[in-house]
Amino acid sequence: MAEMVRKESGGAILNHWMLAISCILLIITGFAFLFHLDSVGAVFGGYETMKTVHNWVGVVFGVSLLFTMFQYLGDSLKYDADDAEWFKVAGGYLSHKVKVPPMGKHNPGQKLYYLGIAVFGVAIALSGLGIWLMKDNATIMLLSHLVHNVAFIFFCIMVPVHIYLSTLANPGTLQIMTTGMVPLELAKKRYPKWMKAIGKM
Amino acid sequence: MANENSKNRKAILVTPELCIGCRACQVACKSWNQLPGIKTKNNGSYQNPPDLASAAYNIIRYNEVPSQENPVRWLFVSRRCMHCDDAGCIKICPSGALYKTAEGAVAFDRDKCIGCKLCVNACPFDVPRYDADGKITKCHLCFDRIGAGMSPACVKTCPTGALKFGDREELIGTAKNEGFATIYGDQDLGGLGSVYAFKEEPKLYGMIENPAIPSSVNFWHTYLKPLSVIGLGGVVAAAAIHYLAIGPHKDNEEEV
Repeated sequence: MAEMVRKESGGAILNHWMLAISCILLIITGFAFLFHLDSVGAVFGGYETMKTVHNWVGVVFGVSLLFTMFQYLGDSLKYDADDAEWFKVAGGYLSHKVKVPPMGKHNPGQKLYYLGIAVFGVAIALSGLGIWLMKDNATIMLLSHLVHNVAFIFFCIMVPVHIYLSTLANPGTLQIMTTGMVPLELAKKRYPKWMKAIGKM
Repeated sequence: MANENSKNRKAILVTPELCIGCRACQVACKSWNQLPGIKTKNNGSYQNPPDLASAAYNIIRYNEVPSQENPVRWLFVSRRCMHCDDAGCIKICPSGALYKTAEGAVAFDRDKCIGCKLCVNACPFDVPRYDADGKITKCHLCFDRIGAGMSPACVKTCPTGALKFGDREELIGTAKNEGFATIYGDQDLGGLGSVYAFKEEPKLYGMIENPAIPSSVNFWHTYLKPLSVIGLGGVVAAAAIHYLAIGPHKDNEEEV
């Protein structure tokens, strides 16, 4: 069996799925509130219970988001010259013929994606608390309602992009979030700078 | 924004100068809706209760205004839900608890209310109230009565004609012919279902000028709501096109 390297720890994987499942549940119930999807409401036994589920799953989402910051926030704030080059070839996503510069553990697309999740995640979590707990303050309530819905659109757009890029678009990526392991040969191709940094290359 | 049902649209016409402040409308409303009394205290005004409450769907406001002739000049104005055609509460309600009836009444289904209070903040007139169970209450234009061809309880009991109920267009037409200076609610928010015949400026009667749904709520309703679906559908379609046109990443191609 080919030698494997660990890209994600068990804790990070568990947290990823906690974030992912809560996020998708929140999007589904969010759409149900937005468009009065009675059939979705019925699954929860009515809108009132769905509201309770939405609120508390939101808490799970917020806590999980906090954990991700320890894992990814540091790396997502560092960019180098290769990252700039990466943007010029659109990360190789739009053509297989271009030369993609050598990458570290995460490419700048992933880093920016994470920053987006962090920023809009904090926004949607805080505004959610505003709608939930600050009902009697009209300014906070209306501002929270607006922020919550703007951030919602970010998630509606970026979550499917993330799912597509990590499954169909890049075969072999999903296992990073299941077993956490990547074959060494593949890792050398995809993350040469990271492999050099940990002395595998 | 003409209502599709504008032909059938009903309304209450309030004529403050005909009102004698007897508050029979408040009592009749409580009677029909089985609402309890409210313990209040003297606030230095005959207005009682001081504002709409979960057990007070309508009140008479005792506006005291300056006058040359009399030490006190009262303008009695019936306050209740305005039954907007373009209703902010219906727009923002996430559970469909607030809805419009065929007659144009903004009614509510208490069982569907989830107690989020968004409607309170989207209402230009500060009308919705919450009861002890955290459910919405407000004037519903006696939708149960008017649906059966009766007039609302408050109108039925009004002894002076200060409250009139009928076809909205007819009521407004008559009031205009009678020479009232302002028909408050004729055009606001798509046309209100509670219209007021005023002899003087609406401000004098304690009405807000140019009532409007908060702009953030309209922006959300007009742009953000559709964008969430378009955005989601758009990226799913884009991913499908990408998969077919460019295809998945191949690690070996990069070597070339």
